[in-house]
Amino acid sequence: MNRPFPDNTFIFHESVNAAYIIDLYSADYIMIEETFADVVNEYPSLMEGIEAAWLSGDVPALKRAVHKIKPLFGFVGLTSIQAQCLHFENACETTPSLPSLTSEFTLLKNTLIQTRSIIEKEKERLALFNSR
Amino acid sequence: MNLSCIIVEDLQVAANYLIKCCEKSNLVEVKGHFTNVPDALLFVNENTVDLIFLDVEMPGPNGFELLDQMAFLPKIILTTSKKEYAYDAFEYRVTDFLKKPFTYERFLESLRKVQAAPNTPAPVAETTAAAETEASDHIYIKSDGKLIRLSNDSILFIESMGDYVKFVTADKKYITHNTIKNLEDKVSKQHFLKVHRSYIVNLHKIDDMRENCLFISGAEIPVSKAFRPIVISRLNIL
Repeated sequence: MNRPFPDNTFIFHESVNAAYIIDLYSADYIMIEETFADVVNEYPSLMEGIEAAWLSGDVPALKRAVHKIKPLFGFVGLTSIQAQCLHFENACETTPSLPSLTSEFTLLKNTLIQTRSIIEKEKERLALFNSR
Repeated sequence: MNLSCIIVEDLQVAANYLIKCCEKSNLVEVKGHFTNVPDALLFVNENTVDLIFLDVEMPGPNGFELLDQMAFLPKIILTTSKKEYAYDAFEYRVTDFLKKPFTYERFLESLRKVQAAPNTPAPVAETTAAAETEASDHIYIKSDGKLIRLSNDSILFIESMGDYVKFVTADKKYITHNTIKNLEDKVSKQHFLKVHRSYIVNLHKIDDMRENCLFISGAEIPVSKAFRPIVISRLNIL
């Protein structure tokens, strides 16, 4: 029989900074699950904000929209995505023309779409772990 | 439970996390969560709290603009870490900064700072001074090593210059060591109104007002969104 949580420990997805998240929540897995659920709920509206800012061609608005979603990744231990958002914010400052941001934006957008899926799956796994 | 608080934060995840920390601590009762400054202002105009967890960057007026309009000043914990707010934070006597996301231990440390911080003294002396100012048609300011008498009617507006303020009259400008925040309570409320973090204007001297600014003797003065309704309510609009 395949046991989903060997040794009764929760192993986070490889992209999640597990040490950081355990420290942040003092290993309170109920609180971790609830926060992942909150992030899943808020994610779509923040992504819509980024998409709308991109389509409007307003670079400062795009920077603000990315700045706004950035703390979410801290709450779920995705510190590398936080860093990627910050990098993009800096790019908006130094390269304030939309066409020159295209490749970096596409990369960020794809990352954010994949990340949403990771957070959703982790939330499901956490719910399963907490319901044992 | 010995502290009451509100949370002013537009990011729902951050607000929920703060609420959980408050509940877990059993030290703070959350009286409300607001995602923007106008809603928070409506609440604090009717209720008193000990503490505000305050985000700075929000849609519409920012967190400091809330503090500008409050009749009382509770303890403040800023939930931001941007260094550019350090000066404002100092001026508003913010008790602590929490960088999102923060650990529960760090949250408790902030609460300890709040509990240890002295209460904002009741402004008895300032109130007396303000009452006297209401009855008086002038003020005295220290400038160029002397006390200068300025009639309320002669002052067009007062502008912040960091640790100094500039009193602008029709024919002269006087620079004195003071802050807009301090002067706000001391000048005659019949004559003067704060319209922006950096400006107090003489209501009787406004020539015209537009969307985000007003004009006094040719000077363009910004009006914060949060202050605009107050300014309009004080103008004698037919």
